[in-house]
Amino acid sequence: MAAKSNAYMGSTTSLKQIDKSEKWLDALSDPLTSLYTFNSSIALSDLNGDGDSKLIVADLGTGTYQMKLKVFRGTSLMSENTLLDLPTGVVTFHMDTTEPRVPAIAVASGAYIYIYKNLRPYFKFTLPTLEVNPSEFDLWTQARDDLIDHATLYDTLDLLRKDVGAHCLTTRTQHLLMCRTPEERQTFIDAHKYFIVKKRTVITCITTMKKNMAEEDAVSCLVLGTESCQVYVLDPEAFTLLMNLHLPSVPSILTVTGMFDVEYRMLIACRNGKIYTAKRGMEEGRLTAELSSQPVGLERREKSFLVGCMDDNVYCFSNHGKLLWRLRLGASLLCMTTMELASHAQKLLLVSLSNGEIRTYQDRQMVDSFQLEHAANALRFGRFGREENVLLIVDQAGGLQVKILRRRAKFEPMETASALTAGKELKLNIPKKTKLFVDQTMRERDNSQSMHRIFQYNLYLLRLEAARQYVKSLQMSLTPVTTEEQPVRLAAQVLGLGPMFKIRVELQNTSALKIVQDLGIRVHADEKLYQVQRRFMHAPILIPGVTYVYDTLVEFVSDLGISDQVRVFITRGTQSRPILSAVINMPVAEVAVSA
Amino acid sequence: MGLFNTLATALGLRKREVNVIVVGLDNSGKSTILNHLKPDLERAADIVPTVGFNVERFKAQSLAFTAFDMSGQGRYRNLWEHYYRDCDAIIYVVDSSDKLRMVVAKDELDALLQHPDIRPRRIPLLFFANKMDLKEAMSSVKVTMMLGLEKMENKQFHICASNAITGEGLSDGIAWLTQAAEGRQSKT
Repeated sequence: MAAKSNAYMGSTTSLKQIDKSEKWLDALSDPLTSLYTFNSSIALSDLNGDGDSKLIVADLGTGTYQMKLKVFRGTSLMSENTLLDLPTGVVTFHMDTTEPRVPAIAVASGAYIYIYKNLRPYFKFTLPTLEVNPSEFDLWTQARDDLIDHATLYDTLDLLRKDVGAHCLTTRTQHLLMCRTPEERQTFIDAHKYFIVKKRTVITCITTMKKNMAEEDAVSCLVLGTESCQVYVLDPEAFTLLMNLHLPSVPSILTVTGMFDVEYRMLIACRNGKIYTAKRGMEEGRLTAELSSQPVGLERREKSFLVGCMDDNVYCFSNHGKLLWRLRLGASLLCMTTMELASHAQKLLLVSLSNGEIRTYQDRQMVDSFQLEHAANALRFGRFGREENVLLIVDQAGGLQVKILRRRAKFEPMETASALTAGKELKLNIPKKTKLFVDQTMRERDNSQSMHRIFQYNLYLLRLEAARQYVKSLQMSLTPVTTEEQPVRLAAQVLGLGPMFKIRVELQNTSALKIVQDLGIRVHADEKLYQVQRRFMHAPILIPGVTYVYDTLVEFVSDLGISDQVRVFITRGTQSRPILSAVINMPVAEVAVSA
Repeated sequence: MGLFNTLATALGLRKREVNVIVVGLDNSGKSTILNHLKPDLERAADIVPTVGFNVERFKAQSLAFTAFDMSGQGRYRNLWEHYYRDCDAIIYVVDSSDKLRMVVAKDELDALLQHPDIRPRRIPLLFFANKMDLKEAMSSVKVTMMLGLEKMENKQFHICASNAITGEGLSDGIAWLTQAAEGRQSKT
């Protein structure tokens, strides 16, 4: 009976946990919370100072209406505040040192930061206004004083837009340019022209940085990135600008470590796909890494940082911007977060993929994965309620899931060692540098100038020697072609195997018109070795273009198995100096077979 | 000596000793329950989170209980299993208002029941569904379901809703525990 029921239970659990991880306990799965939010708009904090951590969510509502700031305590909704505009980020921070130590909530939305204390509105901070384009300002002033009509205002603003770009104009002008009909424009201008035109920027990201103490509940500054390519640091008590950092592009993700008054390091991922670093005292960001596509998430480690990109890869860069490794995910990355396990001293990376999978990576090794029904829009890991290691998931259907990490769960690599090595790039087996190699390199480096000089000197000597030899051969008429007053080409070849050879001499007049006359062909050979039948042949006339062939028999008369050279000279008339010469290397003669 | 002890116990001069371990998640009210079971003079005014464990003694009817009040914090929970071998009964305290962590309570209970020192023994288990005074508290029946107690085999258990601050429901539970422990001892 017991065994039967055990088996039954076993089968049901295995059916249920097809894609579930053994490491997580499902504390809550509420598909009806209808939250629409992203990673930046979720925070976990002990809002009442009672050791019970709450979940703070800035809900985007429908995207147009019903924006709410919601606080969950355990499984139930504890409070709800209406927000006026779409929230871009939520953080909690301690803004003063008063007791009890209760953190404030900062909600970034448009050009404003709304501060809530004890879940009640406390303060609203407005970003400083930017300089309005002077011609745009003039146009609106003239419109206010009725100096120009609506059509002129619209057309001139439209020209201005084409000139400087829409992003340099104020929101009021942008709004006017979007009005389609003249009536719409008229009502819009009439409604707004009496107010001074102002240019506001929009907060794109928000985070916190400790001011001068590293404790968990120390006073923190707010760090904001804006659409005007700037990063501001705000004083938490007076809400004044402490620092203003300029960037070449719009910041989209910010991470900060360190303390404002001591030393800090900001990592800023921008919309142009580049990552900038800023330290204390810097006015402009330093380019650290260039990505191949837009960043989705940025997580910091001790000496490196991880960037998830829209090309479905996670890249790991060192703090100096060197690419350490790359990880292919195989599906689109929706969001990522860090899971810090203090008990195991581990920092793991949680990624949410578009196919609904949540994966956990330790460095580049996958240590866990589980499947959700809907892909997760937002992930947050931290202390929730009284439990330390809780994962909060907001999925695309608006459901909220709470998973608690089991106490005995350990994250160890799932893949076997062999599978890992196959994926890694093989390193080339480069031998160690020997002492000889190093010495030679050093010598070459030190004496590079003199080595070059010596080489050049020898090269000149070689060229000189070559030129001398050429001149000598020309003077000695050793070349088979002459171009002087007697344009004759000589080709001599030896036929036969021996001991009787035939030497064939071909003469050709290479000129177009000139006739060469009275040439003599002399065949000269060592008399002890060769007996030449016709030592002298007479070539009375050479007509241009025709090849004349002269033959003579040469007999090898020695009984030594050697060979020698036979020279052919061409002389003209009674001159003793040859005009051409050729050297024939005779082959070794076959032994004569007596019949 | 052995003969004297037996004689004293039989005559009711000396109470029989029972070792109990008190476990449950942090902030469920284990120390508060034990505090309330002590005589009035020994009660502490403030209960602070237990570090490691405390040993408390109290008497109920014919038995003398030695209770090991284990800390429920995550980092101390691995201490629990070292006391399973010598215990005669287990008191498991659940915060019935903490719906979120009911899965954790169930996970820890399952680990306890599967432990080799506990599994083969027919040991009495007393559950306190504590903090019944809070408005979000679940009933003891709901807690039974969420902990999956009805599927438990080879154990006798009793669950009672309690309020450790006022002491409501505690005497009921202890009375059952005494009866179960006595029955178990008389059998052996």
